[in-house]
Amino acid sequence: MIALLNILVAVLISPLFMTFIKKVKAWAQRRQGPPLLQGYYTFMKLLKKETVLSTNSSWIMRWAAPINLAVMIIAALFIPIVGIGGSGNILLFLYLLALAKFFMALAGLDAGSTFGGMGSSREMTISAVIEPVTVIVFAALAYVLGTMDIHRMALAVLANGPQAALVLISMSLFIILIVETARVPVDNPETHLELTMVHEAMILEQSGKNLAFMELAHAIKQTLLMGLLMSVLFPYGLATETTLVALVFGIGAFIVKGLCISFFVGLFESSMAKSRLFLLPNLFMLAYFFSFLTILFEVFA
Amino acid sequence: MKSNDNYTQMDENKFEKSISELEKSHDLVCLFCAQQGKRFVLYYIFEKGKQLLMMTKHLTGTTATSIAAQFPSACWYEREIRDGFGIEFDGLQDRRPLLLHEPYPDGFHPLLKSFKNQKIHTKKDVIDSYPFMPITGEGIYHIPVGPVHAGIIEPGHFRFSVIGETIFNLEIRVFYKHRGIEKLAEGKQPRECIAIAEAISGDESVANAVAFCMAMEKISEITVSARAMGLRTILLELERIYSHLGDLAGMIIDVAYPVGASAFFILREDIFQLNELLTDSRFMRGMMDIGGLKRDIEQDKLRQAGEFLTTFVQRFKKAVEAVQVPSVIDRLDNTGIVKRELVRPLHLTGPIARAAGVAIDTRRDHPYGDYSKVPIRLGEKGDVLSRFEVKTAEISDAVAIIRQVIASLPLAERRAVLPIKDGDACSLVEAARGQTMHWVSIKKGVIDRYKVRTASFCNWRAIEHAVLGNIVPDFPLINKSMNLSYAGTDL
Repeated sequence: MIALLNILVAVLISPLFMTFIKKVKAWAQRRQGPPLLQGYYTFMKLLKKETVLSTNSSWIMRWAAPINLAVMIIAALFIPIVGIGGSGNILLFLYLLALAKFFMALAGLDAGSTFGGMGSSREMTISAVIEPVTVIVFAALAYVLGTMDIHRMALAVLANGPQAALVLISMSLFIILIVETARVPVDNPETHLELTMVHEAMILEQSGKNLAFMELAHAIKQTLLMGLLMSVLFPYGLATETTLVALVFGIGAFIVKGLCISFFVGLFESSMAKSRLFLLPNLFMLAYFFSFLTILFEVFA
Repeated sequence: MKSNDNYTQMDENKFEKSISELEKSHDLVCLFCAQQGKRFVLYYIFEKGKQLLMMTKHLTGTTATSIAAQFPSACWYEREIRDGFGIEFDGLQDRRPLLLHEPYPDGFHPLLKSFKNQKIHTKKDVIDSYPFMPITGEGIYHIPVGPVHAGIIEPGHFRFSVIGETIFNLEIRVFYKHRGIEKLAEGKQPRECIAIAEAISGDESVANAVAFCMAMEKISEITVSARAMGLRTILLELERIYSHLGDLAGMIIDVAYPVGASAFFILREDIFQLNELLTDSRFMRGMMDIGGLKRDIEQDKLRQAGEFLTTFVQRFKKAVEAVQVPSVIDRLDNTGIVKRELVRPLHLTGPIARAAGVAIDTRRDHPYGDYSKVPIRLGEKGDVLSRFEVKTAEISDAVAIIRQVIASLPLAERRAVLPIKDGDACSLVEAARGQTMHWVSIKKGVIDRYKVRTASFCNWRAIEHAVLGNIVPDFPLINKSMNLSYAGTDL
């Protein structure tokens, strides 16, 4: 029950967080920004549009978007969104994300356009560097909380209260959130300049329903990573039992926490320029450093 | 025909010798062709510091000798003349068409007097037949970009040869915007042509209109009143301010720091509104006239402008300080270097040349308008950061110039009304992008030949050199830092 609710809320709320970040960035630029429901309007609009497929493309182009969405929905089972219920191995979660990314990169190559190939190549380069970092971060998390299961991690934090080590890991998780959702300084989600794109270049050839699915999958991924961050940093408000009050409170708490993180992401993105492509590993090193420090602390403390 | 400039006629025998002598000391400002009866005359305009050297060469047939080996910037001019008049240049390596794209029929040369805007039969199935420079090798792949782009920008094709992310070669192809402006002007009354000059490039309206009027005034020996001169200077500098503000904002947007860029956009909008207050047009169109201005600007409005600029300086300073963020500076620094050695051979002008450390400015070298003193801002490295800084400084200078002109502006006639004479003349103006040249020839009171060379025509070549060794994601930034005009290149 809670598991299903987790999926439902993650899918439904994701476009809101996406738009809210845009809104915050617009405010920082003294603009009004889009209406808060713009993400839903765009999704509905894209569903009505025709899906154009290049004659050069294969079945991968057709299936990459549905596969991405399906994988993200499955991954939503792993993260406590509204409440704690079910189980989710953190390494499996990581590789579910990798699976989605694999198909997305293939689709980028599949249409045969130069921009798609360029985006896929960059995305894979970045992934190759960020993946070991992510593994270390997750290992630190598992070590500190004594479990590989994300739901149990949230329970452990609820039971033991906040720890200094978790704050350090949260910083690493935040960097992973920025990298995986293709935000400044890694990528610029707002740009129209194909030559600078990473994530957007990969989905440039997507259209209609497929584009809608791709974008929704991307939004869900962001929500899940936010959910993971919240389970570690501030799991309070998660429903631990299946009562109406607990669930409603859980949903409310998640929306509030999600908007807070979105607000922070918006500010973070507004506070700096995009980094040079080859200087990105510096940012990843920071995440690596925080988690490695955590492991050292925990082992020798 | 009477000419208002002094031309030296070049002899065919001594041609090569004199060209190789000029190569050492002179820059090629422009090379163009005019048809006189059945014969063709090539005009070579050279520049040495503050002196112009104008030469003509009367052709006996339809062949000429290429000077592209001595003056690399001549390559595009010669290709342009080849397309326009069908003149072949001996020794010209690059014989691809420049402005006539593939569908045009063979033997079609629109600038010939015999061509009278009639219907032409375009060729079919010739798309993609333009021979780009073949670049091959292990690991090299090509990224063709444009001419249709994702943003609201002008059309241009960029062909990158890339190894990994590093740019190995870039070949640009512009000239997708040909409107036939030079042909359009022929046979027009000079006053009708002011609007045509304003339409050459949207954000260089004032510079082009002033340059055209200056050439006409030179031909007709009209002296412009001090007031009209001052007002022209104000409008020219306002144009520089809004153009540079757009560039600064664009550079900051391209490194994904829109928070810093928004302040520049707001300032730019305020300048547009000031333009509208002064001239009823955000791009200051419809103001210039031969002999002065079409309308005067009231003293009261000028006073308001002066007051606005006082607050503008403070706001601009704050906006510049707000983008001094390490992540922004890191992107601009050392990116897209234009080497100093390229400035003369390619005749680069404007902020691009000054950012590379070369002190050239038409306002100082070939004085016009009401500039008592033009500070020349030089960069060192010639990278994007230098261009950013030069443009920043030039905005402040432009504000200072405007305020000074307003303070000392005399009351006088806005326009000197004198008859228009026949003849030809060349004029030079420093537009926001660099040196703009206009050459007008009047015969029987109407325009016989109108040649315009904006700064972008020469400056486009700089980008092919500036991007080498940079990575592909930095290209849009380098491009924006130069902000070249496609329309201004392709008349």
